[in-house]
Amino acid sequence: MKELSKMRNIGISAHIDSGKTTLTERILFYCKKIHVMHEVHEKDGTGATMDFMELERERGITIASASTSVEWEGHTINIIDTPGHVDFTIEVERALRVLDGAILVVCSVGGVQSQSITVDRQLRRYGVPRIAFINKLDRIGANPYKVVDQLREKLNHNAVLMEIPIGLEDKHTGVVDLVEMKACYFEGEYGEILRKDEIPHALREEAEARREELLDTASMISDELAEAYLEGKETPELIHESVRKGTISLDLTPVYMGSAYKNKGVQNLLNAVVNYLPNPSEVTNVALDLDNFEREVVLKADHNAPTVALAFKLEEGKYGQLTYIRIYQGKIKKGDDLYNTRSQKKFKIGRLIRMHSDRMEDITEAGVGDIVALFGIDCVSGDTFVSPGLNYSMTSMYIPEPVISLAVEPADKGSTDRMAKALNRFTKEDPTFKTYFDEEANQIIIQGMGELHLEVYLERMRREYGARVNTGMPQVAYRETISARADFDYTHKKQTGGAGQFGRVAGYIEPLEDGKFEFVNGIKGGVIPTEFIPSCEKGFKAAIERGTLIGFPVVGVRVVLTDGQYHPVDSSDMAFQAAAIGAFRKVYDKAMPVILEPVMKVAVDTPSEFQGNVFGSINQRRGIIISSVEDGNFTRIEAEVPMSEMFGYSTALRSLTQGKAEFSMEFLKYTRVPKNISEELIKRYS
Amino acid sequence: MVKAELIKRSPLRIFEKSIQGGLGKGNLGILASRKGVGKTACLVHIATDKLFQGKHVIHVSFSARTDHIINWYEDIFKEIAKKQNLESAVTVHDEIIKNRVIMNFNQEGITTVQILRSLEAMIKYGNFAADTIIVDGYDFSKCKREDLQTFCEFARNMDLEIWFSASLKGEEPIFDENGIPYELKPFLDEAAVLISLKYTNKYVHLELVKDHKEIVSADMHLKLDPKTLLIAEEDD
Repeated sequence: MKELSKMRNIGISAHIDSGKTTLTERILFYCKKIHVMHEVHEKDGTGATMDFMELERERGITIASASTSVEWEGHTINIIDTPGHVDFTIEVERALRVLDGAILVVCSVGGVQSQSITVDRQLRRYGVPRIAFINKLDRIGANPYKVVDQLREKLNHNAVLMEIPIGLEDKHTGVVDLVEMKACYFEGEYGEILRKDEIPHALREEAEARREELLDTASMISDELAEAYLEGKETPELIHESVRKGTISLDLTPVYMGSAYKNKGVQNLLNAVVNYLPNPSEVTNVALDLDNFEREVVLKADHNAPTVALAFKLEEGKYGQLTYIRIYQGKIKKGDDLYNTRSQKKFKIGRLIRMHSDRMEDITEAGVGDIVALFGIDCVSGDTFVSPGLNYSMTSMYIPEPVISLAVEPADKGSTDRMAKALNRFTKEDPTFKTYFDEEANQIIIQGMGELHLEVYLERMRREYGARVNTGMPQVAYRETISARADFDYTHKKQTGGAGQFGRVAGYIEPLEDGKFEFVNGIKGGVIPTEFIPSCEKGFKAAIERGTLIGFPVVGVRVVLTDGQYHPVDSSDMAFQAAAIGAFRKVYDKAMPVILEPVMKVAVDTPSEFQGNVFGSINQRRGIIISSVEDGNFTRIEAEVPMSEMFGYSTALRSLTQGKAEFSMEFLKYTRVPKNISEELIKRYS
Repeated sequence: MVKAELIKRSPLRIFEKSIQGGLGKGNLGILASRKGVGKTACLVHIATDKLFQGKHVIHVSFSARTDHIINWYEDIFKEIAKKQNLESAVTVHDEIIKNRVIMNFNQEGITTVQILRSLEAMIKYGNFAADTIIVDGYDFSKCKREDLQTFCEFARNMDLEIWFSASLKGEEPIFDENGIPYELKPFLDEAAVLISLKYTNKYVHLELVKDHKEIVSADMHLKLDPKTLLIAEEDD
């Protein structure tokens, strides 16, 4: 098992067009190349010329992996694919909690753009330490100094230059390392030979000045360095130590630069990942103890502790389903039993895999902090696997009910299968995405947590599965409930030749807080025989499926059965079910039914200059503003807004803020619909 | 007890009586004490009392987390509801919470003008007709007299009252012979009401220092209950 200090789990996040793909490819290439170089030398000494073309060919597939494991300077770096744009908390959480650190790639021409701002803010919220890489120094108009200023101003980073460029645009040949005070040139056909040299004379002064800045900033983090610096005795080790400390505590962001496309600066960045980003034992992770009201438990980065692992991504591979997991505590061994806390099922670990850039490696065990994949495990994303006996979950087990639904149908024959396949996959990946067949309307309905949520899946259906799909209008998942107690006494009686039907039920219904439905049997003396009690319950359950106000499910009802009557011949299961349904229909109106609507917790991040517009937009949508937090030039506004008012909000927000604001939302609660809207809904239904 | 009764019986009626019926719109009030004596509790109690009366409150803070502030409100509400045995507390709670907004600022580098611009945006565009603004944790040591004057003007223009808390630093004595905090002397003209919280004989007492133009230095006969952190009558 790998030593923890030699392990890094990182993500590469970037704005579109800042060169994330090229950078990732180069990282894989250099790691592989250097790695292979050693191996080749050992074996037959044929030298370092590995088949670049072959690697090139393989690259296409490898980058698509959810996690790729590479080796650099004796360290294992797991590069986790981070989603570029995420709207839903559940996905953000899952993607970001797997990372211990991140490389933030910024284009030296385009600078910090709104998407970088969003991604960076998410990283900050989840406390992920970052290293910045200013890419594309070879481009016309490259200006890394401007970008550093933007990192400070727009992202509030305490950004500190670790390098300065040697030449820009077409004259870009390398960088000056401000810690070692050496020029670095990247030579050889693919920049794989790192040659260190004296700093060019013309850059001497600039380098001295920037190094001073670096030392000033780094001295703020460590007293030891501050003292040494005062005496002029600072060493590269002391600087590394201080920058590492500052990076991990999010007090400092080291800035590297180069051009991935021109093979410049990538090795230094990799060194920085190893030097400054935390290893898994330096990050605190918590799980929820399901036996103890989901109380938080801090996990131990210990191979010998009981296992806790999170399935963060499922992937359909050539040979079946791959489940990527991150181990947060203990170890995982082939042949061991694990327990899935969601499905409450035990399973045996069959094949255990590590994904490299060019191949899959079968392994027998993996330790804490590591990211590996399992083959053929029946699970969904977000499941927690633990050693039998433990009942921890990495994510809350509470899965909210979907608040919006949409009818979908395949647009052509070929799409039918593809759509079914896609839906099957999505429901596995995302517990908040549901689908069912509505028999009454003869339609397939998909359900989720918001308009955007469903849009993302429709888009994926089209792009990944090639399924062409027609959709209906989105529907808010209203609920109905009662607000008063009411008595019922109902007799179901039918006599149409042959065996008749008879059943009488009496009792009352009352509001039930915090619950869907409760049935209380208060029958005494067998006025309804025991065998028919379940029939009554079944009848009431069927009745609440559809309320009479607007035809949505009724929740929060307690039915108490206190009296009844039966007939020795005519009473039957059917008769009592019918009696219960009839009773409910009749009593429902007396119990003052009301409509409930889903309310979303909405968070908008906007440049402060537009906050008035955002306040206004929330107010217009019957929203309540809970808080606004202004930090630098950005304001985060949290509000509670009814789901029905949030349709089209992304478009509205874009036009109100020149596209500079972002928002996310999640389901919060159901509340009563105001009277005027309730009346309108009822009118529309009837 | 129903809500109306609760409002009538609140110790804050005594509080208001001693300052001529309340701070009053267009005015600034300051609660001053050393750190950790109970200014936030007092402010939140004052705010909650306004909320009970159906008024709108904006709570301005400079701490990093709004959930801490929300917890303050939850705690104070719970204590009041428990003490006065409030009927249908959950409904009342949900009702009044709609009239409260928390606005948090990062104190570093933010100017008074920026704060007021955001407040104005909330009131105007957010359609939030604030009656009272609570400003907790404002750094008076970095503030100039003009800043408070701007706040004053804002209170008048927007027709609302503003309560500040001032954390007194520096060496003893922090109060002069009239009970005026040395640190707040430059701002005395701008503050219509100045109350200090002092820890004496086991309790935190509220002492009225300035009451609408006049320096009074009077005991308000109010204390901060150490258990519930509510403002309470002294012989309670």
